[in-house]
Amino acid sequence: MERLRSSEKRGKVLNLGRNEPRILVANRDLVLPGQPLAVGPIRPGDYVYVDKRGVLRSTKVGLADIREGEIRVVPLAGSYIPREGDLVVGTVSKMAGNTIFVNINSAYPGVIIPPRGLRGRTRAKYNLSPGDLVLAKIKAFDGVSAPLLSIEGEGLGKLVGGRVYMINPTRVPRVIGKRQSMLMLLKSKLGPEIVVGQNGVIWYNPKSLKHALLMEQVLAKIERESHVSGLSDRVLKLIESSGIIDPRGSEAGEV
Amino acid sequence: MPLIVEKKPEVLITEDGIRTDGRGPLDLRPVKIQVGLLSRADGSAYLEWGGNRVLAAVFGPREVHPKHMTLPDRALLRCRYNMAPFSTPERKRPGPDRRSVELSKVIREALLPSIFLERYPGTAIDVFVEILRSDAGTRVAGVTAASLALADAGIEMRGLVTAVAVGRVGDWVVVDPNHDEDQWGDADIPVAFLMEEKEITLLQLDGPMTQEQFDKALELASQAADLIYEVQKEALRRPYEAVRLEILRRGE
Repeated sequence: MERLRSSEKRGKVLNLGRNEPRILVANRDLVLPGQPLAVGPIRPGDYVYVDKRGVLRSTKVGLADIREGEIRVVPLAGSYIPREGDLVVGTVSKMAGNTIFVNINSAYPGVIIPPRGLRGRTRAKYNLSPGDLVLAKIKAFDGVSAPLLSIEGEGLGKLVGGRVYMINPTRVPRVIGKRQSMLMLLKSKLGPEIVVGQNGVIWYNPKSLKHALLMEQVLAKIERESHVSGLSDRVLKLIESSGIIDPRGSEAGEV
Repeated sequence: MPLIVEKKPEVLITEDGIRTDGRGPLDLRPVKIQVGLLSRADGSAYLEWGGNRVLAAVFGPREVHPKHMTLPDRALLRCRYNMAPFSTPERKRPGPDRRSVELSKVIREALLPSIFLERYPGTAIDVFVEILRSDAGTRVAGVTAASLALADAGIEMRGLVTAVAVGRVGDWVVVDPNHDEDQWGDADIPVAFLMEEKEITLLQLDGPMTQEQFDKALELASQAADLIYEVQKEALRRPYEAVRLEILRRGE
């Protein structure tokens, strides 16, 4: 009898916990590794783990992101871990037989294996040499062996000319922006040739040295200030205060 | 023969509990931490703790070299504790010695439970702890700094690790022994905690203690670690907070 009653009680206590999650941080709060984020029935998202007592905790320095039924952490530090489908910019590091090794700014070096039986123009795409910059897509990655890259597809392959800027891979979503808003802004103001790799390598082909320097300033600002809201407005202000007229505007003026 | 020969002080702690550096038995030496100051490392931390000056740097997850050390299911955690030749009153012969090999092992094992190694299979995480100036308790200072460097590198962790030493001088249990107490005290216990759950990841004992003294020492270590943990968290937040405040000040 006694035992039954106590288990009933325990059930009630657990039920209470199950119905109402208790969230211990505010949305977009800066959180640290190990910091408790929530208790109760809420799904742990990216960079959140559940400890032995059922407390959801952050695994990284980042911003808390609370959604309907889920809590996750948007990281502010960390290196690039490949994911299938990601676009990456890398440098050809070495060739071994048919295989092309590509440094993709990650703990896992990428490989490109040219398909057999290619001829003429399609084959020419694979004529790469060490030092070449390539835009590639991650075709397969199992977390252990080297990620397989593909350069088949529109726009993929060797990148000629231009400049490279490297930022922390965790800031890539901010360089692209919501529905590509930030990328569109950069393209419209600083020239259309910008490629943002998910690995934090950004390739761009500036119109002039002035454009290049402004681009570097803008990217440095995005990297530094990405955790404070209102970033687009600040970036726009920086571009406007630089006095560089946007390329389309100047062209329109000349006509 | 060095110019100044170190001698044991006549009293290490007075009857009212005043120590050779003027602290009470429960007082910590001042701790100052700065995170992310090495731009070439993936993560770094600089720590001043009393007279200790410690620089910790983390590289990784990165490719494993030599390749045969690769672990297929988790990351390889490597740690090097090194004392600069100028870190001691007498020049220290550079290079690894018995002591630094042991401390490298001990620091690695203190950090190990805090890291989700299984999330980075086939990679290496390298931790470097450089002692620029030593003044008793460098291993706990090393663990405390290294844990922050790991967090700064964005490696997934269960939480921060904080370490602190406690010692025994006569009948007194003292927190954070200084150089004199380290040298001539009766016992010394370095402890590291995985802070959020207060799990112990490092515990060494050098010298005799009674059960009561040991229990008291652990309790005091836990309390001292709480204070250092606050400094650690503040240091990790500071760079981000500084940028936020700067933007607010500019009124953007």
